[in-house]
Amino acid sequence: MTSVLEDYLNGIADMLYISFEKYGKIVKLAINQEISMDIQLIDDGEEILCNQFYNRIYKRNRTIDQWRWEFAQNNYKSSPIPYARVMDESQVVGTQAFIPIRMIDIDGVFWTAKSEETLVDPDYRGRQLFEKMYNFLFDYARTNQFACIWGFTPAIKAFKRLDFSFPGKVDQIFIPFQNKSISLLLKKEDRSENVNFKNKLKRAVFLIAGLVAQGISMVRLNLNKNSPLAGLAIKRWDKPDEQCGELCKQFIQQWGGTTIYRDAEYMQWRFFDNPYVKCIVKGVYDQDRLLGWVAYNIGDDGMGYLIDLILIRADYTVAPKEIIKQLLIEAAIGCRNMGASGIRGWHANNHPFDKLICEAARDVGYYHIRKGHETVIYFCETGKVRNGYTNFDNWFVTRINTEGVHG
Amino acid sequence: MSDSISYLKQQLINHISLCFNLDGKELLESRLIRFDCLENALNSTERTIFIPTDVPFNEAYDDIYHAEFNQTTLTLWNRLNLSAYDNWRPISDESAPLWYQNSSGTLISAWNLFGNLMHTLTFAEEKSHPQKDSHGRYTAAFGPRLKKNLLEVPVFNDAAAVLVAGCSGLKDGNDPLYEIKDLVKPPYLALSHDCDLLRGNDKWTQAVRAYRTIIPLKKLKFPAMKNLWWIVRNCYAPERYYFDNITGLIELEKSFGYISTFYLINGQGGRFGARSSNDMIKKLVRTVPSDWALGIHYNYNTFLNEKNFIKQYAELSSLTESNLICGRAHYLKFDPFRSFQFLAERGIKIDESSGYTDKIGYRNGIAGAFQPYKSQREITQPIWELPMTIMDAALVKQYGDQAVNRFDQLMNHLSKVGGMMSINFHPDKFFNPEYKELNGIYHKMLITARQYNAKAITGPLLLDYLQPV
Repeated sequence: MTSVLEDYLNGIADMLYISFEKYGKIVKLAINQEISMDIQLIDDGEEILCNQFYNRIYKRNRTIDQWRWEFAQNNYKSSPIPYARVMDESQVVGTQAFIPIRMIDIDGVFWTAKSEETLVDPDYRGRQLFEKMYNFLFDYARTNQFACIWGFTPAIKAFKRLDFSFPGKVDQIFIPFQNKSISLLLKKEDRSENVNFKNKLKRAVFLIAGLVAQGISMVRLNLNKNSPLAGLAIKRWDKPDEQCGELCKQFIQQWGGTTIYRDAEYMQWRFFDNPYVKCIVKGVYDQDRLLGWVAYNIGDDGMGYLIDLILIRADYTVAPKEIIKQLLIEAAIGCRNMGASGIRGWHANNHPFDKLICEAARDVGYYHIRKGHETVIYFCETGKVRNGYTNFDNWFVTRINTEGVHG
Repeated sequence: MSDSISYLKQQLINHISLCFNLDGKELLESRLIRFDCLENALNSTERTIFIPTDVPFNEAYDDIYHAEFNQTTLTLWNRLNLSAYDNWRPISDESAPLWYQNSSGTLISAWNLFGNLMHTLTFAEEKSHPQKDSHGRYTAAFGPRLKKNLLEVPVFNDAAAVLVAGCSGLKDGNDPLYEIKDLVKPPYLALSHDCDLLRGNDKWTQAVRAYRTIIPLKKLKFPAMKNLWWIVRNCYAPERYYFDNITGLIELEKSFGYISTFYLINGQGGRFGARSSNDMIKKLVRTVPSDWALGIHYNYNTFLNEKNFIKQYAELSSLTESNLICGRAHYLKFDPFRSFQFLAERGIKIDESSGYTDKIGYRNGIAGAFQPYKSQREITQPIWELPMTIMDAALVKQYGDQAVNRFDQLMNHLSKVGGMMSINFHPDKFFNPEYKELNGIYHKMLITARQYNAKAITGPLLLDYLQPV
């Protein structure tokens, strides 16, 4: 059938004098409509092809070690790994993966999956490859009893077709240290060569607004710096503290809701073994007792990232908000000293601890910017029994929920 | 075997063991390689690699050629002329060969490998060009390699990689290899920081800024007022962009899984001397994590001066409470023919002074460590030299906005031939609006190094890897 179709199209191409390149594309498209493409979970040895596909589409240089860390060497030990791919002959033309991640709520720890690596070759769009890959992964989620599938994306259209819900966007908390951080945050770089009055004025206003914003932030940061923490100490980690998991349980008991279960094993993988950027993690201690931590770093784009912040209530005498402020300042100054152009973190919803971070952040010079990706969540049958977790305000989300490319 | 042959073999053994997935000693002491005179090589019928050791070195650099090897380009010179010998033919590429081969399969390196390597490792170029700058240093501008664009050619690494490929082929009964992807380890990074300034408000720094303010007046131009801002800024925040950058550097390196060496300068102050107090040095020592290394930045006045050196070393050892074994000369003021012995006798085991102040480049033709050559009887000195290849300001001055691209090219080459890149980035220049052109460069260099899977190493760690001196 394929060869008959090919011959037929060859004839048409000859008649129409279509360029060889364009003709090739038409033939390929037509043939692909005919043959069924190979969609399944990734086999051993295909990771290189999948990574090459990602690098080709995004024009990036992700290494195979980075791929392995993200999808094959995470805390989920089961095999096969939840990574679906579409092959057209020997070429990968679509990928969709899960990163299995444990979350915790008041009833305990459970598995969820972060949706990742959503990618279809532009030449193959419109053929429901995304849906077909997801069918494999939905089966995988059912078999492995994942409670939900979640992710963050600017492109929600495809997820709508799969019955994902969209509970809200993640906002930014942000301090600019240099003007270029604002363009980075807004993803707007002024490359205009037109230097007419309007553009000059626009640039001047932008520059002045940036400088004013920086000035205000610096004043607030300096005024709040070095507030006494009544005997508590902040220490940089070389490896995860074994108390992490227990602290996470206490956090949920105290602040409620659900969040990623950050035990020492997860922290080791997510922060310290991260082949993109390893996080700087600083714990806050009362003697030897871990009370919380802040994690930050600088991304390849030169922006500082507030990755995580968590704190439990205990017998300390200062208000939790004061400790949060010091941790936020620690992250801001740490990033600034690394040469970052600014620092940004996430504010997702009305979870009480997220709200407290946002308030503390504003006090020490961060700005709350309502700009960010949409959250997408698919609630699996297994998860529907969990108490109240379909309400997104119960989710405590930080940048730890990202895939870790920026740390 | 002559001393120079033993010396070069030992350096190749060290280097190959460090940079390849091979035992350098086993390789160099096998029957696969022979260092011998050209005549013996030409008359041989063994399936062996011959490295001729008696071909005179020609410093004219007028026969530079480029050969493709392991997906990179090698730059070679002083090609052997065997056109008079019918039974020897160039292989790999006739116009740019790596080997000559006879009908028995005997191989001769196609260029004066021995002469070229000995010339660069023993500072022979500097013997024949005795010029010095106002600080008594040999700079890149004095040598012929700059004009021929050869400073950034790691001749030693290239030769070692070709030898490894040759031996690997012969060992299996085949012709020499030209692809050795699985044999080369990812490049090493020797990151270091000369901590000349820990506060920006010392009188010399402020005086220099004041002077820079008025320099334009000499040309009847408006004064450079921005220098006044740096003066004022560092009056009220003296550690901003200075000591604060130390923590920034450490955390930046940590986020890549890298470590580095901090070279500390104490002792006599002044324009060319130490500008940080002992209290600041103690503060720095408390800040630097234990995985990172501390070394001595030899003060300007300690140059071949026993009394001053011992005084500085003793004081810094006490301040750091450690046995300092790594060092680099302030202003790179060192003498390749006298300093090694001087330093070795005073406890230094790894020195990083052999670099250029005005250009980036491989002063000794090696991206890695070597033992300095001494004399007829004692062929090596009990000290390792890890030549500094890149200094922050020199890289940016030379390549401007292409600085990181050039670094990428150098790292790419080392990823194909194996090697160790020594980089000096001053903490006060790593992120400081006063040196705007350098902002972000170090970060981008680390991103580039990560792309090549580079592994960072410090002097003390390196000593563990290398053969005992």
